[in-house]
Amino acid sequence: MKKGWMGTTAVLLTASLLAAGCGSKGNEEKPSASANGSQGASPSASASGSAKTEENVNLVWYTIGTPPKDLKKVNDAVNDYIKDKIHATVEMKLLDWGDYSQKMQIIIASGEPYDIAFTSSWANDYFGNAKKGAFYELDGLLEKEGKGAKEALNPAFLEGTKVNGHNYGLPTNKELPQQRVFRFNKTLVDKYKLDLSQVKTIQDLEPLLKTVKENEPGLNPIPGKIAEFLPFDLPINDLPFIGVPLDTKEYKLINVWDTPEAMSYLETVHKYYQAGYFPKDVATQTDAGDYFKTGKWLVDVADAQPYADNLWSNDAGYGVVSVPMQDPITFNWSVAGSLQAINAKSKHPEKAMEFLNLLYTDANLVNLIDFGIEGVHYKKTGEQSKDAIPDSGYGFPAFTTGNMMLTYLNTNDPADKWEKFKEFNDSATSAPLLGFQADTSSITTEIANLKNAKDSTYNALFSGTIDPKDNLPKVNKKLKDSGLDKVMAELQKQIDAWRASK
Amino acid sequence: MNPTAKRTKLRDIHRLPFGWNALLHLIAGGFALSCLFPFALAIVISFTDENTLALNGYSIFPEKWSMFAYDYIFRTGDQLLHSYLVTLSVTAIGTLLTVALTALYAYALSRKAFKYRKGFTFLAFFTMLFGGGLVPSYIIVAQMLHLKDTIWALILPMALNAFNIVILRTFFQTMIPDAIVESGKIDGAGEYKILFRLVLPLALPGLATIALFSTLGFWNDWFNALLYIDSNRMVPLQAMLMRIESSMQFIIQNSSILNSGESREMLASLPQETSRMAMVVLATGPIVLAYPFFQRYFVEGLTIGAVKD
Repeated sequence: MKKGWMGTTAVLLTASLLAAGCGSKGNEEKPSASANGSQGASPSASASGSAKTEENVNLVWYTIGTPPKDLKKVNDAVNDYIKDKIHATVEMKLLDWGDYSQKMQIIIASGEPYDIAFTSSWANDYFGNAKKGAFYELDGLLEKEGKGAKEALNPAFLEGTKVNGHNYGLPTNKELPQQRVFRFNKTLVDKYKLDLSQVKTIQDLEPLLKTVKENEPGLNPIPGKIAEFLPFDLPINDLPFIGVPLDTKEYKLINVWDTPEAMSYLETVHKYYQAGYFPKDVATQTDAGDYFKTGKWLVDVADAQPYADNLWSNDAGYGVVSVPMQDPITFNWSVAGSLQAINAKSKHPEKAMEFLNLLYTDANLVNLIDFGIEGVHYKKTGEQSKDAIPDSGYGFPAFTTGNMMLTYLNTNDPADKWEKFKEFNDSATSAPLLGFQADTSSITTEIANLKNAKDSTYNALFSGTIDPKDNLPKVNKKLKDSGLDKVMAELQKQIDAWRASK
Repeated sequence: MNPTAKRTKLRDIHRLPFGWNALLHLIAGGFALSCLFPFALAIVISFTDENTLALNGYSIFPEKWSMFAYDYIFRTGDQLLHSYLVTLSVTAIGTLLTVALTALYAYALSRKAFKYRKGFTFLAFFTMLFGGGLVPSYIIVAQMLHLKDTIWALILPMALNAFNIVILRTFFQTMIPDAIVESGKIDGAGEYKILFRLVLPLALPGLATIALFSTLGFWNDWFNALLYIDSNRMVPLQAMLMRIESSMQFIIQNSSILNSGESREMLASLPQETSRMAMVVLATGPIVLAYPFFQRYFVEGLTIGAVKD
């Protein structure tokens, strides 16, 4: 028996050796990890005349988005451009939307070497990873290598993404606050001469919906689920029933779904559902906006940014107008909508920051990464404008990285678009809980239970399918049974401590 | 089936009464239809005009047909071609490797004369009960063996499976009498000759079963690609479809959190509905055609162990 084990070990060792041999063979062609980076140093080494010769490093950059066909081509162009500037090359690795979080989780857990990664409140959780220590603390770097980035950003961005008082990610310079709007199909608005000036809340929609439904019986004026707007700030986004009022003074958490505001909102939605303003199957719909193509809708809800109406009209091919429900407000999650972070174990955090800094200060680089190579992937149509060449094989989600205010506009965008963005950002007020991050480690079970309790009725309730009069109290009872009070007490404690420390 | 046959005196005793026969056929037929229908619908959608689809929803008889989706895929998509090549080579190499490794391992375990047989059996059996978990396997494949973005990352993790070993070992033990091995020895054959000339030819149905399992396994695998493949050139078919699907799901789920400007940008990077269906059709087609070919061996492999003399 003893001998048997030795034989086993021998075989295993041989097998792993063989496999390793095969693996490295297949790997030779590509520059894989950062270990290979130093090879390309020679051409630019002479450029740096400083005392210690800088060696070229290769930064591995994971970011989100569907990998385009010409990624390699653009990546090479990026490297040609930055090689002399910061003596580094970057290896862009785009992971698809749906895979990103899972893959990054494994990459971080397994300690795989990388330098820069996309993170946010909705993918590759920023706050969680920062607390775990997965990201490099940027405070020092922001004063030196990242100076340009810091200057380009509205201070609220860095303030709002602090975790325990430190920055772990560099937010994209884009719209900062959230502003929820009603979005209207202008064709129908003009046809029935609807008066939008009176619209502010969901209750105000009724006469408009009625007119359209009477005249166009085959059409659902509200084509799908709409995102609710209740004037509360939520410490945990997944639990939309725990919040403080937006105009709070005493920062006391309440059950949002137990307020008259919520009841009146739900009653209105339910009334609309019964009147046939929603599609019958709205609660189970998984449509990602097909109605936009067909034009068979009157109103829905969206989040706006300056000149959003133009964007939407372009997409739809007909006029789309919007009416705000609220003033722009900066929430935790809207600040952390998109960041780039540096790996805590990165060997070259300074280089990584130098590269990120370029993304905020160098318009050529940002446009190259966002839109591709001029003449191949886009055509310039003016000093600051461009048109994409359709099906040219490159696309990159611009909002995930760098300074959007440096990017070219589309030909039909108004020239002052980025100025309007700055104004929009400056006009924002802060939500009461901006900067507060809940520590959920002691209440994970309760939170999971609450989430389950929420998920079972949320869609039916907020799509108006079921009557809130009977069902809302039932839901609230269920939440209470699932540990709502304990979670609220714990969060309240944390919020009080957070306020005291400010 | 023939109505006149029902009246003949010489009735086949296996024949069911007409009513039962019809009912059972109906049930089986209905079930088969419900299995085929989704695929038929996918084919029809892939040939539907995109705007018609948005206006009328899914329909088995669309108002307007269109070849646009296929046109689009063949125009823009050398991705599909790449993925085909990857999947085909992974399946071919993987299946050969699996059969070879499994057969060698299982044969050794099936021979009573093999001294360390218990130890090796336990070693294989142990992995059926306990696995290392996701992160350790990832560390081994990606960081110790450096298989990331290579075809071996798709093949080696699945190449040897304890379940297959146990099946094949049992097959060898029950189907190949010791007498055959002994007869070979008496005639002066060495171990290799016995294995390749006597045992393997007799074990063909068993090997075919393993081959079928692993072909389907390799063809349908997307999880290894999710973990180990970043480069577009190495993405296999199923992983490509899975990516599109999960990205769709993700964007729909998050569309309320994300600013509309952003989810717009995401949606724009995904293929349209009809193109997605066309990809499904192109990706599933070949394996559907390959199945009947294997099925013959499959049935044989399953039944051959059933009756013993």
